[in-house]
Amino acid sequence: MEIDISGAAEPGAVGDEVAQGDRPARTAGATLLEVEDLAVEFRSDDGALRAVDGLSYRVEAGRTLALVGESGCGKSVSSLAVMGLLPPTARVVRGTARYRGTDLLGLSPTKHRAHAGTHVAMVFQDALAALNPVHTVGYQLTEALRVRSGTSRREGRRRAIELLDLVKVPNAAQRVDEYPHQFSGGMRQRVMIASALALDPDVLIADEPTTALDVTVQAQVLRLLAEIQAERQMGLVLITHDLGVVAGVADEVTVMYAGRAVEHAPVHDLYARPAHPYTRALLRSVPRLDAVGDDRAVGGRLPVVPGRPPAPGRVPPGCPFHPRCDMARDVCATDVPPLDDVAPGRSSACFFAAELLGGVRA
Amino acid sequence: MGRYIFRRSLLGVATLLLVMFVLHLLTTFAIQLNGNPALAFFGERVPTAAQLAAVETRFGLDDPCYDQTGNPCLGPFAERLGAYAQGDFGTNLRGREVTDIVATAAPNTLKLFLVVTIVWFLLGMGLGTVAARWRGRSADHGIRLTSVLIDAFPIFVLLLVYRYVFAVPLNQWATETFGAESLPALWFRPSFDDDHPWATLLVPGILLGLAGSAAFIRLVRASQLESYTGDHVRTARSRGLTERHVVVHHVVRNSAVPVVTAVGLTFTEALAGAVITEGMMNIYGMGGVLWEAVRGTDVALVLGVVTILAAVTVAVMLVVDIAYAALDPRIRYA
Repeated sequence: MEIDISGAAEPGAVGDEVAQGDRPARTAGATLLEVEDLAVEFRSDDGALRAVDGLSYRVEAGRTLALVGESGCGKSVSSLAVMGLLPPTARVVRGTARYRGTDLLGLSPTKHRAHAGTHVAMVFQDALAALNPVHTVGYQLTEALRVRSGTSRREGRRRAIELLDLVKVPNAAQRVDEYPHQFSGGMRQRVMIASALALDPDVLIADEPTTALDVTVQAQVLRLLAEIQAERQMGLVLITHDLGVVAGVADEVTVMYAGRAVEHAPVHDLYARPAHPYTRALLRSVPRLDAVGDDRAVGGRLPVVPGRPPAPGRVPPGCPFHPRCDMARDVCATDVPPLDDVAPGRSSACFFAAELLGGVRA
Repeated sequence: MGRYIFRRSLLGVATLLLVMFVLHLLTTFAIQLNGNPALAFFGERVPTAAQLAAVETRFGLDDPCYDQTGNPCLGPFAERLGAYAQGDFGTNLRGREVTDIVATAAPNTLKLFLVVTIVWFLLGMGLGTVAARWRGRSADHGIRLTSVLIDAFPIFVLLLVYRYVFAVPLNQWATETFGAESLPALWFRPSFDDDHPWATLLVPGILLGLAGSAAFIRLVRASQLESYTGDHVRTARSRGLTERHVVVHHVVRNSAVPVVTAVGLTFTEALAGAVITEGMMNIYGMGGVLWEAVRGTDVALVLGVVTILAAVTVAVMLVVDIAYAALDPRIRYA
């Protein structure tokens, strides 16, 4: 890709002093964002509901972390908390989110907002709703640039075209003046990604970026995200419910259940040997074309995870997954299993993780 | 955009024609059922058959269809349309040109309207925006309570209270303090003065605007609240834009579409309110003229004034439609 719009390569090109002045270059593997023991509660008529409970993860430059879980498990809420975008009914009750050492959650809302977009940016699902229908795509792509760093209208337009080129929207010079509803779903999601990249963020959080798209377009958008991330050495957090999406893109995976991380592992290890029964159940429910000869032979039923995830506020005592778990024993209903290291680089919140790891190997 | 405006204009003309036709049907039936309006020309006197026939011819009431109950009288309607097309709106019973009457009465109504529109737009946008921005706080509760209170006092009550309780002592005080021809004295004058139209229209206009703003405040608040929870507002915030910028460019801007729609509705409401206001404050305007015309069975004048008012309303609706398209590209390109 010829177009380089990163401020690091061309000092002063991106006029955002806030973004560029105090920021060291991204070196692969450097920790950019570290979320620790994050807990978020929603106010409700039934009292406080814990949507996220003690979530920790780390995002490194040039690496992709996938947050995986069923809907309602807290994966989106946790990233909204990091961005400072929680709805008024929600609040962070515990934990830190350190961006290069600064705890974002301890900042005033105004200061927290200043980090959004420049340091940590977010790509939302359903770009049709997430883009403003009454402004042109070009306006939205560089709105932050113009407002925050005083880039001129003409320069903004030029940058908007560059951004559209970057995300491979054909005819960028023409389409920059069009409105979101004139774009196809896939192109709209590319615009969404481009608008998140406008201020050259260190960390990109992509919340279900391909959920609303059909499968072939999904693959294109994911590939694009991966390319841009590799080129810019950004840290990428990919939030998804689809383990199929994760396989090709992520370096590491954190599986979430009922507001907690239940397993964390490098992507290949996770697929080869899941260390939590929930992960194993999720993996079994991914449809595969090469399943012949498996116990799920062609024509067989696709296994599902039985039951439903608990609603916040109705999380069962003990291990939150135990009512749906095929390995549950007495201890699971009474004690909460901690997220412990089970192998180098891997952790699992299951009392029987060692058994799981051993069992599959045999 | 050009095609859109063309289509809307065409629709506007069709609406106007339809309104005129319905108006014609109603007056025709009124004549057929209630008897000859030409009699009104003579007041108390009893005219001879020849005199009556002459007057009927003069006002276009000589067509035999007016004696046949149920006959839609399409012939006279076509004639009238032809005359209107040439700018001839006929005369009132005293022989004064309808266009001349409207030309002297309309400016006062327009002045009143201008004051009314500015007041309710500023109040509605200002208070509605504040209420939405600080939803659930004391400012929001106060504004909502105020808007309900305003609704509880219809325009005629407001005017009555103002005119008989406040205007007289305020006017007296201002006359004594600043002199009879001073601005404050004119502001609080309990009735309209043709020599000082703006000053004497101000307070009635503000009151009418206040009455119209109540529903508008709530509408602005509701449509902005909807914007606040929109995904695109969250996206704007995630780009690190200040809350102030987000509110102006993403909340208020996006809620402009329903708000502009309401402008059209509030305008027609204000039209009705203007008739009452003009009557109570002795303002010589379109409302007053219409009222007198109906009372005096002055058919030509009623038809002329209502047609002009309908044309103004259709024009406002057209402007609203165009503004609508200018504000929302999804409509423009539909």
